[in-house]
Amino acid sequence: MTVAEDSVSVNGRSVTVRSSAGTTLLEFLRESLGLLGTKEGCSEGECGACTVLVDGQPLHSCIYPALATQGRTVETIEGISKGGDLSSLQAALVAAGGVQCGFCTPGFVMTLTALLRDDPSPDPDQIARAISGNICRCTGYAQIVEAVAADPPRPGGAR
Amino acid sequence: MSLIGAPVIRTDAVAKVRGESIYGVDYVVPGMLHGCLLRSPVPAGMITRLDTSAAAAMPGVHAVCTSADQPDTRAGWVLCEQRMFATGRVRYEGEPVAVVVADSPKQAAAAIAAIDLEIDEAPGVDLASAMAEDPETPLVHPEWKSYQPVAGPEMDHPRRRNVAAEMTSEPEGVEALFAEAALVVEDQLVSDRQYQAYIEPKSAVALFAEGRYTVHTAVQYPFNVRDRIAQFLGVRSSDVRVIGHTIGGAFGGKLDAALEPIAAFMAQQTGRPVRLVNNRTEDLLTCPSRENAVVRIRTALDAEGNMIARELLCDMDNGAYSAESIWLASIPLHLAKGVYQVGPTRVVSRLHYTNTAPTGAFRGVGSTYLYAAVERHMDSIAEALGIDRRNYRLDHLLVDGDTLLNGQVLDNASILGEAFDRLEEIAPWAEVNASKGPYQGVGIGGCLWLTNPMPGQATVKANEDGTISVITSATDNGSGAVTMGITQIVADEFGVGPTDIHITAPDTDVTGYDAGSQGSRTTHIVGRAARDASLEVKRQLADVAAEMLEANPTDLEFINGTVGVVGAPGSRVSLAEVATAGTWTVGPIAATGSYTTPPVEFDPGCANGLLFPTMPTLTYHAHMAVVEVDPVTGKVTVQRYVVVQDVGRVINPTGVRGQIQGGVAQGIGHTLYESLRIKDCRYLERTLETYRLPLAVDIPTVEFITLEHPDPEGPHGAKGVGEPPIALVSAVVANAVSDATGSPVERIPITPEDVLEALDRR
Amino acid sequence: MDFRRTDDIEEALASLAELGPDAQILAGGTDLMMQIQRGELDPGTLVHIERVDGIGEITENGRLTVGALATHLELSRHPALLDRYPSISYSASLVGGWQTQAVGTIGGNVCNASPAADLLPPLLVHGARVLVASQDRGEREVPLPDFVVGRRNIAREPDELVTGFSLDPVEEGTADSYRKVGRRGAMEVAIVGVAVRLSVDSEATIKEARVAVCSVGPVPFRATAAEESLIGLTADSDEIAAAGQLLLEQSQPIDDARATARYRTMVLPRVFESVVTDCYLRATGPSR
Repeated sequence: MTVAEDSVSVNGRSVTVRSSAGTTLLEFLRESLGLLGTKEGCSEGECGACTVLVDGQPLHSCIYPALATQGRTVETIEGISKGGDLSSLQAALVAAGGVQCGFCTPGFVMTLTALLRDDPSPDPDQIARAISGNICRCTGYAQIVEAVAADPPRPGGAR
Repeated sequence: MSLIGAPVIRTDAVAKVRGESIYGVDYVVPGMLHGCLLRSPVPAGMITRLDTSAAAAMPGVHAVCTSADQPDTRAGWVLCEQRMFATGRVRYEGEPVAVVVADSPKQAAAAIAAIDLEIDEAPGVDLASAMAEDPETPLVHPEWKSYQPVAGPEMDHPRRRNVAAEMTSEPEGVEALFAEAALVVEDQLVSDRQYQAYIEPKSAVALFAEGRYTVHTAVQYPFNVRDRIAQFLGVRSSDVRVIGHTIGGAFGGKLDAALEPIAAFMAQQTGRPVRLVNNRTEDLLTCPSRENAVVRIRTALDAEGNMIARELLCDMDNGAYSAESIWLASIPLHLAKGVYQVGPTRVVSRLHYTNTAPTGAFRGVGSTYLYAAVERHMDSIAEALGIDRRNYRLDHLLVDGDTLLNGQVLDNASILGEAFDRLEEIAPWAEVNASKGPYQGVGIGGCLWLTNPMPGQATVKANEDGTISVITSATDNGSGAVTMGITQIVADEFGVGPTDIHITAPDTDVTGYDAGSQGSRTTHIVGRAARDASLEVKRQLADVAAEMLEANPTDLEFINGTVGVVGAPGSRVSLAEVATAGTWTVGPIAATGSYTTPPVEFDPGCANGLLFPTMPTLTYHAHMAVVEVDPVTGKVTVQRYVVVQDVGRVINPTGVRGQIQGGVAQGIGHTLYESLRIKDCRYLERTLETYRLPLAVDIPTVEFITLEHPDPEGPHGAKGVGEPPIALVSAVVANAVSDATGSPVERIPITPEDVLEALDRR
Repeated sequence: MDFRRTDDIEEALASLAELGPDAQILAGGTDLMMQIQRGELDPGTLVHIERVDGIGEITENGRLTVGALATHLELSRHPALLDRYPSISYSASLVGGWQTQAVGTIGGNVCNASPAADLLPPLLVHGARVLVASQDRGEREVPLPDFVVGRRNIAREPDELVTGFSLDPVEEGTADSYRKVGRRGAMEVAIVGVAVRLSVDSEATIKEARVAVCSVGPVPFRATAAEESLIGLTADSDEIAAAGQLLLEQSQPIDDARATARYRTMVLPRVFESVVTDCYLRATGPSR
């Protein structure tokens, strides 16, 4: 068990990382922090259900070491709905039918949130490529892509 | 403003998009222990050594169990074959041999590694050797004769040795018609397994207290899982309670028990709650996948090109245990003619035991390879006759009054003709064909599908606050059947919004029987039951409101959360007031609707051994695919996919679209990307790296039209929606690829290697 | 298992000198964590170098040097690579999906030395040299083929750290191209990968040819016989096809979970022809 020197910021809150060297970020989030919104689908970095943002970049938390997040910023699905409101992206997904069983949804929200910060108006091809690391078995993707393409950026680019 | 047909947001969407829904894998109980299974590393053999003493002594371990500890029972969905643990012999790679329960998952896994297991490996039986029915081939179940059907000995079905089920139709005169045929066309299609690959792996959390077992799990059919647990444990089904949680995808793979019986058993053994969960490889290896099958089809044609007789032989891989597959062996008899007028048809459907994971239900059971075989065969016949592929189909399409092989009369088969006509409007056949490039192809096909008739129940109660509760074990496996379908139907009746409808989580202690989210049945069956119950509750509420408003109950309407006199806006009371008044004057207001589709007439003499004899509440469909093959790599891209789907009545267009887009995506996955190959009775693909699920870049946006021919029994006429979209995908994509390469596709999935080979031959 | 992180190169080298074979270098960790979780690897200490300063940039000093910690995402977007070494940017953009590219590094990809490593063929055709540092012996440079010596086998001493890769310059009339064959449109481990670098003379005749492939042998390699046979050609498909056969002769396609030997045998010459044709068009195209 290693207690990290630097803390990690998780959804804006400073947290001390206490985990063993082989503990993944996913395990740390779910088991140590009780943040169950990030899901385990495969443990091999294929399905993307475990996607979180570290320093704004999406990664597969199931294959990323928890201790590597020291001094950095982690965002999970729980941090996306600020003050209880859905983000504009979340609302668009819901309205467009982009949610069926929902198990993949938090992972998609994280990847798409990063995409929209980078490019507020991606076209369908760009969206499809950006979500290559996220598998949905229910929707066949069209309604997810349309939700993002149709969601106009607010003034200032905030989503 | 009616909610029926409205694109209402599903009532669980917000929780899901926030990551707040509690799925089976998220469910925790304080003090729960963690189980881990030792699974057979080989497909077949005799256990010669199983020493758990070292494991039992390891840190954190509470219990280790094997067949030595199991109840003396056999369980099964149709035939009772299976023991809790592999007993004496192992029959498939992944079969549970032992379980360890410990304080932490890591401790349980470490103890598993310390179990001393030796197996004298034997050659396994695969589909090819089972089909040969050579007396020298070992028996997967040497004791097969002793197995009892769940429904009782008089309900046994034809089976022998490695043939788990055989269903046949042998009408007279078939051979004579072949002998006099002007032309005989013959085709074959082989289809690999398909893994449901829901993103949420299977799990179970079980408790044992006061002589009863409670199991928390995310399954499609809680009552079936309850019954299976009870069978394995040797208790009454009412001694088991299954409580359902949000399901992270299922597609048929979560209809039967998986981890639940062992979890329940270990809860009793340890006196503590016990959790079991599959890792992805375990889940893939042991999931009841869509069976691999071999279909051989031949048709006798007369001089005018009519299909005067047919023979279809379908051999399906059961895997090591039968589960639901025995019933599903009926499907070839229903689909052998496809949607076309074909003369007397001989069908032999055989389900074979092999030393592989038991197969089971996956969306559109049997349809994918049967329609692929039949529709490839139709292209083949058209080509042999020199007739346009679409015209040939239209000339021989089923019409009203035609019958299926089982004698079932189709009184609305003309919907098929309409479906092809509507398809022609959005994708004109001549135009699509004329604009093909040198590496493009187009495929077309039609299908019919059932809406599973099995029973469901919903109790509707009027709450004092004006909301409505629906108590049911109907499950929403992601399709929206509950959070859109049932919700909208009930909300529409009461004139309230969808968020005023509370639907209980499935609980076998509390609700009436529900036959699970399978066969596209939930909106149709439980929506109907819920609507019936709602009408009765409204009647009771109307009586109360009539008193309050001094009006006639028949003059009342339920609108915008109020009950009032039609045409008299001043004369209203809130639904809450009515419900409250009713509760305190006549008693709490509730009603229960129960529904199961009435039996469909058919000819019982049509077949032998047919366990699932009819196709109730049929829907009719036509699909088209345009593909392009890459001459450098052999890859196939589906460039255009068009669906015309008969739904009876659209309850939610967003939901219907989701089923069509999602179903076609799974069909494309099965046909082009997913592969679950078997070699020496083991799967070659074992992770999501090699079991390739299609990505957003792989799937086109599906164009679709819905046809609404209301079913008289369905709620607002709704019929099943979820499965038909997948049924024709292999068929039309295979037809399109054959068209592009000039070589017939004979195998699903279609590999780039197959395509390059075909192009080399061109 | 211990976890030691650092953002200083000297500290990293000191740790490696101290721990030797007990250390496992961890950058993005995408392959590593899976191996640890599966019990395939059990190192004494994870030396986390993902944030080490100074070895993640792309710099120019005679030769273009790509820092070992440059991520696939950075490689796919960097103007210098896009301009002169597009096959490197392109192959980086094909490694997994965004989540993999955001943390996966060129150093990790090379040191993992998978037979299917996407970046290896483009690096090989650009004559990449591996820059290796250690506390006790300073820096050394080794040609890539002498560094990746076998399947998942690199010539790295336990106290050494790969710090970067330097590339041959690209002049007028030189271009590169890469194509990867997979099943799906993304997230694929290469079934075969072919990188080509061609230089043409003023008559648009090939004067230098470099061809590298992955997934048809234990190690990605330069196909020297095919390279020689391309010299002196213009884009004549019969002769290119013949070169493709030479490439096949030098390859050892096998059956594995991703594809059959037969498919690899069929597709390799076709992809080679397609990549050579594309590369030739780029090399002879409008002045760069």
